[in-house]
Amino acid sequence: MNIELLKKKAAWLRREVFELVAVHKKGHAPSSYSCLDIITTLFYGGHMRVNPKNPKWEDRDRIFISKGHAGMAMYPVLCDLGFVPFEELKKFTKPDGVFRFYPDPSIPGVEAITGSLGHGIGIASGHALAGRHAGKNYRNYVILGDGECYEGSIWESALFAAHHKLNSLVVFVDRNRCCILGHTEDCVQLDPMEDKWRAFGWNAMTIDGHDFAQIEKALQSAYDPSNTRPTAIIANTVKGKGISFMENKPGWHNRMPNDEEIRQARAELDALQTA
Amino acid sequence: MKNEALPRDVFINEIFDEAKRNRNIYFISADLGAQALDAFRKELPEQFIHAGICEQNMVDVATGLAQNGKTVYLYAMAPFLTFRCFEQIKVSLASMHLPATLLGVGVGYSYDDAGPTHYATEDISCMRSLAHMEILTASDSHAARLMARLSYTSPALRYIRMDRQALPPIYTEADTFIIEQGLVEVRPGKKIVLFTNGITMKMAFNIRENLLAQGVELALVDVVKLKPISLERIREVISPYDKIVTYEEHFLSGGLGSCILEAMADAGICKPVLRVGIADNYHCENGGRGRLQKLAGIDVESATKKILEFSNRA
Repeated sequence: MNIELLKKKAAWLRREVFELVAVHKKGHAPSSYSCLDIITTLFYGGHMRVNPKNPKWEDRDRIFISKGHAGMAMYPVLCDLGFVPFEELKKFTKPDGVFRFYPDPSIPGVEAITGSLGHGIGIASGHALAGRHAGKNYRNYVILGDGECYEGSIWESALFAAHHKLNSLVVFVDRNRCCILGHTEDCVQLDPMEDKWRAFGWNAMTIDGHDFAQIEKALQSAYDPSNTRPTAIIANTVKGKGISFMENKPGWHNRMPNDEEIRQARAELDALQTA
Repeated sequence: MKNEALPRDVFINEIFDEAKRNRNIYFISADLGAQALDAFRKELPEQFIHAGICEQNMVDVATGLAQNGKTVYLYAMAPFLTFRCFEQIKVSLASMHLPATLLGVGVGYSYDDAGPTHYATEDISCMRSLAHMEILTASDSHAARLMARLSYTSPALRYIRMDRQALPPIYTEADTFIIEQGLVEVRPGKKIVLFTNGITMKMAFNIRENLLAQGVELALVDVVKLKPISLERIREVISPYDKIVTYEEHFLSGGLGSCILEAMADAGICKPVLRVGIADNYHCENGGRGRLQKLAGIDVESATKKILEFSNRA
């Protein structure tokens, strides 16, 4: 794993995602930033086996951005890897554009429609079962919001995946501790998060979701041949990570920055790229 | 009319036979059994999935399987298969336009002793609102068999409705056309025609007998396919008749009667229509299905009276 490369890619990706918001005045940058280092590690850390020339390649690894509002974090990556031309970023949410507010499978490289919360693990479990029965070894990654864990369907899926020992399933819980109206522990308590997943029969661990080495280590634990269970990686993250005035501020969930804020954010993100 | 095997068992046996040949078939149950399912579970354990009593996850798992080219069946009591996981069906299956067969058993007041929690008196209105969703109702076991065959020869997003109890045969083995036709005239009549399916088709035969004694010859049409309804076919079926009756063990809002009325409007047919169905009310009552139907005004006696009055109206 090349941590310097990952840092560089993550800084580039933050900047690209911000431009989508700054230019088109749409999207959820802070929610994308909390799970962005995880997405970066999966795509640029040698984890996701994909074929941009054949997005539906049967043996591909699958990724489901179950918290669909962060799906836009994948859009520049899909361009960078060659799934979609870079010009499409300029047409984000435009009538003739491929990239939509929330991802759906009409976008090459996107597996499923998300946006409505609580679907990702269930759909990924179907892929995992199909892969197992076909003797394939592809992996199924899910990026789950911690607020998404309020959905009861998540826990139905958690039971199911554990029962079937779907060890090709790796779920990152983006634990940024924010939902729209406030901090999760002030709204409806979610802690102890790791204990919940472990109690449901998962291989569970907690990491710093912005530390590439920890993300890598957690993934290796999931891949360990002795691991027979699905893995839940509780990734402690910061909503809005990378833009100081957005960090850990629930109110920024879907707020659009004004001109001065855009100027400041661009400066901070540019500095990250040159750091 | 003699009773035969339960439609659900006929359906599942047909799928079981096909699943032995086709390992891409998956049958998922939300903890609902059937006599026919016992052998399936035993002989094809990899193709039978117990979802737990988790309908929401069941739909999402089916979605993932369908995305990988599997032929998927979701099996549960009709109310839980439709309303409980409506959003999952909309988002995961319908909006991604994926094929899956939803086999709902116990439509209408089938689970009569259980109360409104188990009644599926809104399943048609709910499911028909979803894009890409076909809706079929099995009025006898032969129809159930044909629907099972259709489900694997021509997979689509399809809700197949079945009563909990056995229904008397109305078709023969030679009647292979019924799904394609969608609206099947099972008894001829004069001037007045009744559209129905399922349990109320069984009851409609008795209504027809009652009305014959009063000099009214009521034609009976089995609404095999509730969605989509062919406009050409509805013109054909209705053209010999002056008055139309719809009859269902379902709420009047959005049910079979609504399907027929909307198709008539779209086909440019303007004829008097009487809708016999359940008005806006949930009955928490003991006494069985017959009593519930009486309370709802859809039992044979009440329906006969309403139809006779409608028939005699100038």
